[in-house]
Amino acid sequence: MKKIQSMDRSLKTLLLLVAAVLLVMAIVAPGSYYGVDNLRSMIFQFPEYGIIAYGMMLAMLSGGIDLSLVGIANLVGIVAAKIMLGMGGSGASIALGCAAGILVGAACGLFNGFMIGYLRVPAMLVTLCGLQLFGGLGLAITTGPALNGLPEKFIQIANGSVGSIPIVLFIFLAVVAAMAFLTKCTVFGSHVLFMGSNAEASRYSGISILKVTLLTYMVSGILGGVSGLVIASHFGSAKSDYGSSYTLLSLLIAVLGGIHPDGGRGSVLGVTLSILLLQLISNAFSILQADTTLKTFVYGWLLIGSLAFTILMEKRAARRKGVRPAVLDKR
Amino acid sequence: MKKKSVSGILTSNQMILLYIIVVLCVLIGTRNQAFLSVSTAITLCRAMLVTLCFAVCEMLIIISGGIDVSFPAIACAALFIPIKIMTDADLDSVPLAFGMAILIGLIFGAFNALLIAHIQLPPLIATLGTSSIINGGLLVFFGSREISNLPDSVDAISKQYLFTYTAPTGFEYKLTILFLIPILLCVFVAVLLRYTMLGRGIYAVGGDANAARIAGFNVRRIRVFAYTFSGAVTGLAAMAYCILMRTANPKNLMGSEMMVIAAVVVGGTRITGGHGGVLGTILGVCLITLIQNNLIMLGVPTYWQKFVVGLVIVLGTSITSLRAKRIAQGPKV
Repeated sequence: MKKIQSMDRSLKTLLLLVAAVLLVMAIVAPGSYYGVDNLRSMIFQFPEYGIIAYGMMLAMLSGGIDLSLVGIANLVGIVAAKIMLGMGGSGASIALGCAAGILVGAACGLFNGFMIGYLRVPAMLVTLCGLQLFGGLGLAITTGPALNGLPEKFIQIANGSVGSIPIVLFIFLAVVAAMAFLTKCTVFGSHVLFMGSNAEASRYSGISILKVTLLTYMVSGILGGVSGLVIASHFGSAKSDYGSSYTLLSLLIAVLGGIHPDGGRGSVLGVTLSILLLQLISNAFSILQADTTLKTFVYGWLLIGSLAFTILMEKRAARRKGVRPAVLDKR
Repeated sequence: MKKKSVSGILTSNQMILLYIIVVLCVLIGTRNQAFLSVSTAITLCRAMLVTLCFAVCEMLIIISGGIDVSFPAIACAALFIPIKIMTDADLDSVPLAFGMAILIGLIFGAFNALLIAHIQLPPLIATLGTSSIINGGLLVFFGSREISNLPDSVDAISKQYLFTYTAPTGFEYKLTILFLIPILLCVFVAVLLRYTMLGRGIYAVGGDANAARIAGFNVRRIRVFAYTFSGAVTGLAAMAYCILMRTANPKNLMGSEMMVIAAVVVGGTRITGGHGGVLGTILGVCLITLIQNNLIMLGVPTYWQKFVVGLVIVLGTSITSLRAKRIAQGPKV
């Protein structure tokens, strides 16, 4: 019951924030903000980091974190681009490139999972190092410059539309549905949540921590790979340092979306709302022609503010009940 | 206390690092005869200067059970804001430059401490947030243009040398006076960690915060110290970097956190806290700097550098954790 209440609160706050942004923009720039063109341009933008955010969400639900997703995304983009360019850009080469890309993403994720689950190195360090490792591998493959001249059909994935609905929206919705199904309706999903809320207890109840960790980071890596393909398709090229701001952004999305940093709590719905909110904010910035560095500044405050809010509320609730806050014992 | 056996010392983490460094030096030396000389040592010292300061701070924080990824941003602010103010107001004073840099570092360090020790945010997320606030704020409020003419007296420090070595070719290699900063810092931190109650407290908090609290340590105060002290030292090191480079750039140091964390972790500091030492960190920084500066001499192109640094951390942490696992599974005494 408590869980449902706290989840409701974070969802309510999110809806309130979305409404606030919409209201402010209705006053400041009604003409350019509320239009089909702007809506379409927003839809073209958010899937690439939205998909990364779900990877972050899954890792955080399991009680870890995945900072390597951007590195995986770029490596996948580069591998796929290499294959497509090497095979001359035919339809088969696109399919093969994408498939190989996803495989590379899964392999990177498995590597993270192995380091975390088997060698017991903290997820934070493994994935921070993964960012360096995978990004570095991408850099080594490309030797620096972007890989250009990707086939037109591939570029259409992120830039084309069916009727007036962008194709990426379908990809994004498929990912959302898959993640909702995975966390709500599968045994694996409940194991991830269980492990996130108490790893020790779930080990004693017979869950294989190693297996769940491996799978968690593999799925996270696959999501990173999907996002990498979308990014490469969007830019029409692949490079080792695209989307470097997405690490912070995906973390912010997860935290704003009510994913608890200690793991075990959070929902796909919260994260989806949070993605929408951040896209609205980001779009507001670009409509108001604000500097991108200002965005970094605001995102930093949002990250710290929302997390501080969550933790302070938790402490207050604990104090009311007269128990020692759990956070104090953990850290 | 138990005396360490000779074989224990020979297979300790620091010694293994030392072997690796020696092997690497010999390898590079066989490739390039010019490598094994005093001039290389001086170049290496210069390259290690700032990284070493950052690494010692990071080590202190990791030992206390936290992590800090905001120091590059703090450093950028601490070197850019004073120089910007001084050039705009036409001031020229060395103590003022260092004073302001340390103060700015201290303020941001205290901000981290507030978030982590008082509000109890997870250190990684808190410092990532701080980093993006400082990074964005600096560029928004102070501009992003590099200032290449430092005030004269500040710039003059870059021409003060500890000693000069003249190579047989006639080329002079000089060790900057700023190298005193990391030396003094290392000695200070080593003494602090080993011989003071505060230092032992840092290990205790990192090992088990709850146990430390019950044993009577003020956990919060120790964490506040770790973050504010690191902030202040980061400010100092940032100003040294600025003088060394003879330019104030608000973006130059960004992205250096990975290398510093790598150096600390490779140096035997356990990322979960409670373990580590200054000597290991010095060797770690030495190894990482050697790799960074000399990969080309081993025939590895520079674009592999990022990957190799990542690989070094993976290997370093895997070995440490495998050893920890073996100890945990071994017979209990």
